[in-house]
Amino acid sequence: MEKQNSRREFLKKMTAASIAASTTTISMSSFLSSCSPEVQKRAATADSVILLWMAGGMAHTETFDPKAYVPYEKGVESKRILSTFPKIPTVVDGLEFSEGLEGIGSVMDKGAIIRSYKSADLGHILHTRHQYHWHTCYEPPQSVQAPHIGAWIAKELGPVNPVIPPFISIGQRFTMGEAEELKAFHSAGFLGTEYGPFLIPDPSSGLDSVRPPKGMSLKRFESRYKLYKELVNKSEIMEKGSNYQRESLMRSMEQSYRLLNSPEAKVFDLSQEPKEVYDTYNTGRFGLGCLLAKRLAMNGGRFISVSTEYEPFLGWDTHENGHIRAKDMKALIDRPISQLIKDLDETGHLDKTLIILASEFSRDAIMEGRPGELVKNQVNQPDVIEDEKHYGMHRHFTDGSSILMWGGGVEKGLVYGKTADERPCSSIEKPVVIDQIHQSVYHALGIDSQTNYEIEGRPFYTTPDGKGTPILDLFGKPMSALQEKIV
Amino acid sequence: MENTNWILQLLGRLHPLLVHFPVGLLVVAFALELITIKKKSTGLREGITWMVYIGAISATLSALFGWFLKTQDEYSGDLVDNHQYTGIATAVLAIITALLLKNSLKKAVVNLIAYRFMLGVTFVLLSIAGHLGANLTHGEDYLTEILPGKKEVYSNKESGALLSELKGVSELSDLQKDKLSLEVRGLFAHKCYQCHSENKQKGNLILDSKEGVFKGGKTGLAVVPGNPEESEIYKRIILPANNKKVMPTKGKLLTADEVALVKLWIKEGAHWSDAEVKVFPEATLALKQPTLPKSSKENHPLDKLINVYFDKNSINWQDAVNDRKFIKRAYLDVVGLLPKPEAIDAFVNNNNPNKREVLIDELLSDSENYTQHWLSFWNDLLRNDYSGTGFITRGRFQITDWLYHSLKENKSYDAMVSQLMNPTKKSEGFIKGIKWRGVVNSSQSTEMQAAQNIGQSLMGVNVKCASCHNSFVSNLTLDQAYGFASIFAKEPLELNRCDKPIGKIAKVDFLYPELGSVDGKTLQERLLKLSKVMVNKENGRLYRTITNRIWERLMGRGIIEPVDEMDNTPWNAEVLDWLAADFIDADTDLKHLIKRIMTSKAYQMPTVNYKKQKDLKKDYVFKGPVLRRLSAEQFSDAISQVISPVYVAVAYNPNEDKMPAQRIWHHQKDLTNTVLPLPGKRYFRKTFELKKENIKQASVLISVDDSYKLYINGTPIGTGSNWTEVGKYDVTNVLVKGANVIAIEGNNEGKIGNPASILFAMKVAFDGGENFELFSDETWKSTDEKPNNNWVDLNFEPKRWKKVKNYRTSNWAKLLDFTFKEHQKTFARASLVKQHSFLKALGRPNREIVVTKREEQATLLQALELTNGAFFNGVLKQGAKKWLDVYGNNTEVIVDTLFQKLLGRHPSSEEQKILIGAIGNQPNVEQIQDVFWSVLISPEFQFIN
Repeated sequence: MEKQNSRREFLKKMTAASIAASTTTISMSSFLSSCSPEVQKRAATADSVILLWMAGGMAHTETFDPKAYVPYEKGVESKRILSTFPKIPTVVDGLEFSEGLEGIGSVMDKGAIIRSYKSADLGHILHTRHQYHWHTCYEPPQSVQAPHIGAWIAKELGPVNPVIPPFISIGQRFTMGEAEELKAFHSAGFLGTEYGPFLIPDPSSGLDSVRPPKGMSLKRFESRYKLYKELVNKSEIMEKGSNYQRESLMRSMEQSYRLLNSPEAKVFDLSQEPKEVYDTYNTGRFGLGCLLAKRLAMNGGRFISVSTEYEPFLGWDTHENGHIRAKDMKALIDRPISQLIKDLDETGHLDKTLIILASEFSRDAIMEGRPGELVKNQVNQPDVIEDEKHYGMHRHFTDGSSILMWGGGVEKGLVYGKTADERPCSSIEKPVVIDQIHQSVYHALGIDSQTNYEIEGRPFYTTPDGKGTPILDLFGKPMSALQEKIV
Repeated sequence: MENTNWILQLLGRLHPLLVHFPVGLLVVAFALELITIKKKSTGLREGITWMVYIGAISATLSALFGWFLKTQDEYSGDLVDNHQYTGIATAVLAIITALLLKNSLKKAVVNLIAYRFMLGVTFVLLSIAGHLGANLTHGEDYLTEILPGKKEVYSNKESGALLSELKGVSELSDLQKDKLSLEVRGLFAHKCYQCHSENKQKGNLILDSKEGVFKGGKTGLAVVPGNPEESEIYKRIILPANNKKVMPTKGKLLTADEVALVKLWIKEGAHWSDAEVKVFPEATLALKQPTLPKSSKENHPLDKLINVYFDKNSINWQDAVNDRKFIKRAYLDVVGLLPKPEAIDAFVNNNNPNKREVLIDELLSDSENYTQHWLSFWNDLLRNDYSGTGFITRGRFQITDWLYHSLKENKSYDAMVSQLMNPTKKSEGFIKGIKWRGVVNSSQSTEMQAAQNIGQSLMGVNVKCASCHNSFVSNLTLDQAYGFASIFAKEPLELNRCDKPIGKIAKVDFLYPELGSVDGKTLQERLLKLSKVMVNKENGRLYRTITNRIWERLMGRGIIEPVDEMDNTPWNAEVLDWLAADFIDADTDLKHLIKRIMTSKAYQMPTVNYKKQKDLKKDYVFKGPVLRRLSAEQFSDAISQVISPVYVAVAYNPNEDKMPAQRIWHHQKDLTNTVLPLPGKRYFRKTFELKKENIKQASVLISVDDSYKLYINGTPIGTGSNWTEVGKYDVTNVLVKGANVIAIEGNNEGKIGNPASILFAMKVAFDGGENFELFSDETWKSTDEKPNNNWVDLNFEPKRWKKVKNYRTSNWAKLLDFTFKEHQKTFARASLVKQHSFLKALGRPNREIVVTKREEQATLLQALELTNGAFFNGVLKQGAKKWLDVYGNNTEVIVDTLFQKLLGRHPSSEEQKILIGAIGNQPNVEQIQDVFWSVLISPEFQFIN
């Protein structure tokens, strides 16, 4: 419970960062960390994480794990539908994607694909419950508020660049269905709002949140702060001596002032990009989110999530017209994601940025839930399809889906795990659960697998009971990398 | 090779001895060097030089021997590695330092700068290497474990005491055997259960049951009665720290006393006592009603007790704060509002010696404002007014209406608790919990939530841990948790341990069975019994818990902390139990309890400053109230009072004028689904028939997000661009008998889809008393194509216009002003407002779980909201315009009024000067806005001092 110093450290680092551009970089923190009994920092292969969130349940058989293609014709039986698109080759030998993902296919030599992710079985499907589980690693509800993975990372590592908030969430609005459920995991939980997400629902107006209030000139902004400082200095309350609460307030005000007054805020300004770059990314809000993520990753973002946005029955949540909707969604993500990988690779940032593409679960034309644990069907799917709107993946499938990763030490060109080629297209080789995904991310970032926080007298681990283990295969030879870093 | 290995090993083991030379020599050299810097006392030079030389040599040898030790004795781990690297680096630096010194001394002009710098670096590195080395030998928490605030894990004082008691006793009595057994079992609980219990059976060994202990584990019999040397437990606990097989592997090793105790226990036949082990301290249930000290110079009963406490701790009473400070405190604590300047002046000038008590009484009798302030406390505590999950399948019930009226009527605490335990529809939300769609972990079933919440909120005991497995933090067992939860179930629950059923059915029981039975055939019967058992006056815990919470609210720190762990030791048990008993004597009148505390001198003392948060935790000594930050609600309400209304719409309106008006907008769809309205203009029409002529009075209410132009029968009626400002129009003269048409041009601003809506109501009164009402609903029509200019007229034909969509109210709240009635409310109290990003940033919790303490420290996200948040700055701007209208552009008047209203005092001449210097004598809106900001952000305003 006594972990209250992080803000002070944050400030220290902030001051340090602003003066210490050139001074020596012997990292004291690596020495100090070994004094702390709980957290042993390990060598990191990644500094930053970008999570590309495919909200609403992306069907693996329609995207990164295609099965036999059955084209639409009136009268086709639902049970024959495994994929509604033909397969296409990718740059990696033997790895095939679904049509419409040519761009992402062309960068798979820089990343890895896990084809055997199994979501939890939580009974009657509710997207936001599975999303909560994916992002916090805990099944809701919990008796304490579980933190988002981004909040854990923000807490453990702090910001890379002191003026960029360490946990930024792009693209999700909270004004439609299941809004409250969405808010439940876009949260630092018991770690405290300090580590909560900096929300940017619309990437094109991200700049607004990091500069002086609209309509306030920089000059006025500065003199307003100066006035406040002068008044505080003359106030009798300051004569009473040091007080931790008061100092915490004044420190946070100062920090916010510096952040908003920082020239680095322009990182959030998409208009700084050349037009052709902007246009390449601009397939919509998600594409621009990728562009903002790129700028943030290059300038010291720590954890950045970009969501296609969850709204019931929209995005990847295809309850009807599945084929057409999947086609649109692929067009939305393919160009910006492949461009993001390429841009980060060319500038050398990919080595230190772990990019993850994932979804809460997959979809199927027939099966709701998973084999042996079927749950209540939410969509009426006819046995024989007479209308094209029934052609597609309209039910929620939890037994196999794809997770893609690039950069941050991830083995290049790796294909991990496998799903069956016939229905149910379940994970049949090296099944992976969420604990392993979280621990793999922590592993890449050098965060100890036993990291925990004492809440209500008991330790709460990053993954339940601290039991999860990273998938070391994803990182090739993790041990040697570890040695190098320590020397 | 084998021959030489032992030499290396021996040399390696000399490392711990040898390291003391470089540590000693170099540190002293460095210290002496510091002395020479100023004084230039050359007398020390020779000595220092030799110290550095020998230090460097011994450092090198130490590093070398250390390396032998590591390789020969197979040490490994990050800590070892770091120690190695820093150690080697120290040696290298020490040599460089020595060489530099040698070189410098040789030269004609002695320049020691480089050498001194290097010696300094060596010193730093040496300290780190030394510290890491010490961690290796003594354990990593060797230093930190004794720091204040570090949770005391387990005290072995008892083992020592018992050991000396039993020493020399030739034959143990049964009582002594029992004692010994219980002591050993307690030891197991603290040191071993984490890995060896029914929950976690490492090495197949279970130590929390008799069978388990005597069955042993994978490596053999854990306990061989009478024979410690044969017992695996004993063998393992006496191994040295670096042995891989030593137990416990996690945490500290057993002390000599503890080891001796285990040995003695086994030797004496390993007797097993079946008595219950109360491993953790537990508060007694009943209250001890202390008698007040008879002779005391203090009048107030609390002060009499505290006086004794102060005497014992050599603390002096401080003079009570002045009237200005007191009235501000009292207002904020009782009604959550700031006192008006007139009220302050009147209070200061009042000569009644009893005026403070009179003020407290007056404030407590302002039941509406009292309720609207304390509501937030109760909402946090009872997890009500919850904005979070669970609504999707109607798995959640609010108790706001019940709670509001309970506070307003000042229901006794007993009555409140009874009505929560045995609820009506209006109060059932508390024990019903939150139901998610799908399957949930058995420790989060709604029945278990009830047990956990009653435990935490009302009884100050943590049932959460025990709802999954026997608790590690209290004496509660899984059986007890399930027995308690079963009260709320249709039938007794099957126990689940860590979410796996264990084939045992719970026995219905209250957490503290001695208070009475709660068993019954039906749920109703059990709840009725529970509602009585809970408020049994023997249940001192219930009253102690709420008393402590109210104390914490008013004084900034509980008598027991954390306030949810009522088994912890209070800083003074007499004060707590006397207050709780007094509360019971006053028929559990909450206002009485508040008044009792507030009238004490203890409450009226100046706040005590604490440099660090941890000073308030362990070993806390009460010296007076603690500085408290304004809550999100107090902050928001203060701005509403003084600057401009922050909120004008609420989630719960106790005086609601209910109308069936819906929040409608043009139905925005993608392929087939409703999506958020896109930005842009939309056009709305509604035609209606008035059957009578003699219109006496017709009025319209309208609120549109984001802006509107309203026409009736082609006549422009009004415009608006802020949904929180209700447009109120008299339309008596525009309406006619027969067909009429309402036309609204609405605009949704922004760049991407976002909530938009029209809320409309019309009331027409005819001579003769008849009425006609019309509300926005799904009979209205709309289009997103710009229509011809005559679209506002009756004779326009809306072709291809579509039915509007009811977008529901969740993105907006109930506008206080959306009523045809006269009313005086100028702003909505923040406690009644639906959770909002501004309040959230300031620390109002979402209440997905019980919250009994809000975040104390300011955060960056909060500061950002206050610094550049559009919402907050918008309110200030609005306020600045108003102030300019009311007070004119006179800085002196504005500043003086602002200080009186916000800070309860006049500005000093220096403050006046600063402010006038900053904004001149004739400020504009922006300058006034910035003055507001500077004062609102200041610590003086943000804290209850």
